[in-house]
Amino acid sequence: MKLSTHVQGEFTVATIGEARMDAAIAPELKHQISQLLTDGSTRIVLDLSQVTFMDSSSLGTLVSLLKMVGNRGDLIIVGAKGIVADLFKLTRMERVFRMADSVEAALGAVAA
Amino acid sequence: MKAMILAAGKGTRVRPITNEMPKPMIPILRKPVMESIVELLRTHGVEDIVVNTSHLAPVIENYFRDGHQLGVHLAYSYEGYMTEEGLEGKALGSAGGMKRIQAFSGFFDETFIVLCGDAWIDLDLSEALRQHREMGGVATIILQEVPHAEVHKYGVVKLDDRQRIVQFQEKPKPEEAVSNLINTGIYLFEPEIFDYIPAGVEYDIGSQLFPALVAAGEEFFGIKMDFQWVDIGSVPDVWAATRKALQGGIHGFPMPGKEVRPGVWTGINVSVNWERVKIAPPVYIGSSTRIEAGSKITGPCMIGANCLIESGAEIRECLISDYTRIGGMATLDHKLIFGGDCISPDGDVLNVSDTQIRWLVDDRRRLLNPRDIHDMMLFSNMHSFYSELLPETETA
Repeated sequence: MKLSTHVQGEFTVATIGEARMDAAIAPELKHQISQLLTDGSTRIVLDLSQVTFMDSSSLGTLVSLLKMVGNRGDLIIVGAKGIVADLFKLTRMERVFRMADSVEAALGAVAA
Repeated sequence: MKAMILAAGKGTRVRPITNEMPKPMIPILRKPVMESIVELLRTHGVEDIVVNTSHLAPVIENYFRDGHQLGVHLAYSYEGYMTEEGLEGKALGSAGGMKRIQAFSGFFDETFIVLCGDAWIDLDLSEALRQHREMGGVATIILQEVPHAEVHKYGVVKLDDRQRIVQFQEKPKPEEAVSNLINTGIYLFEPEIFDYIPAGVEYDIGSQLFPALVAAGEEFFGIKMDFQWVDIGSVPDVWAATRKALQGGIHGFPMPGKEVRPGVWTGINVSVNWERVKIAPPVYIGSSTRIEAGSKITGPCMIGANCLIESGAEIRECLISDYTRIGGMATLDHKLIFGGDCISPDGDVLNVSDTQIRWLVDDRRRLLNPRDIHDMMLFSNMHSFYSELLPETETA
């Protein structure tokens, strides 16, 4: 799974470089993000702007990662669009996750 | 007068709906558009109708059969072949389809009307026929005036002062359009038209037959008629047509079912706890559907027959086809649910099987498997966890 990360202020911006988020990449996604948490990066912005397809198992993985973050930090979802955004809305997960249109918008909102 | 309904198109702009339902069968509030057309023809005394079919022909033929139930005689002209894999459509084009019927039996032995099976209309056919005869041409095209900005979607025609057609433009830019009169795809013909249609080849009325008439110097006419024309040529069209019908915007459109409270229509055998379901009209609920207490439905909304809307579900401005189960955790906002797809009005398609959300939206008759139940529990836990947290964070 392609995942690139960089630090921006207090946040770690993790960008998923895959078009499809499905069962094939869900375990690896979980492993890599939980590794970030273990390494002390607890404020994470997850950029989904390159993702054009997501299934329930990947969304479920994000849900369990959000549980893992808990009160220790943040897991902010940015760049969800098309059917990815639809999936969040349909399952009401857009009410559970903090979501923003872009990395800049997410960081701006947190700073404000 | 005799008639031919054009029903052989593939309906590529209405995918994925037309993967299993040919365009003329797409319903506006439960009634296939073509059924409304057959009824209109009968109202104006047209009883003998041939339908050319190709893509998903059996869906049309099994629904309308011989037309007896609608008080007309229906016959089908199938365009395609039976192969080892089943039926394989090979459409002949609108004019090619006409020619095939004529070559077969000479069916068109008097003035006849040809129209598409995929638009709801309330055209006064008797008046159109009167004007066609008065003009005396071999063909008459029914025209409609549209705002100049919309001409790019249609075939535009130019008339001379005797209403003769002198020029055609296919989907012109507004600034290049020679008029704002558009071809509605409804035509009146005399049998002599067949002199201009070659046999055994694909041939189109708009792009080939009419230019051939112009080239041959044959007189044919356009008449501007004022009528409602609700096209369902694309997914956004299907969406808009249903909303319009629910809102009473299609004058004379008969609402199905009974109006059980203001702006709320239902079929029979519905199970709704009216005191504990929030419904904002206009809403139609199909027969044998159950709406559980604690769900919320905001119109304009059409819920098909045999559906199950579970407690907690929120449905806003949706079109939901028969036998759909909507789980209690679902929020459906401006969606068409059809054949396992969740379709946005702009055409985005979320397939419930590919995305594995059958635990949330599915065919009501399918049983949940352990995987579905696992996902449902995961998401449900997350919701209850956060709904306890949320009030605190809001006050903080």
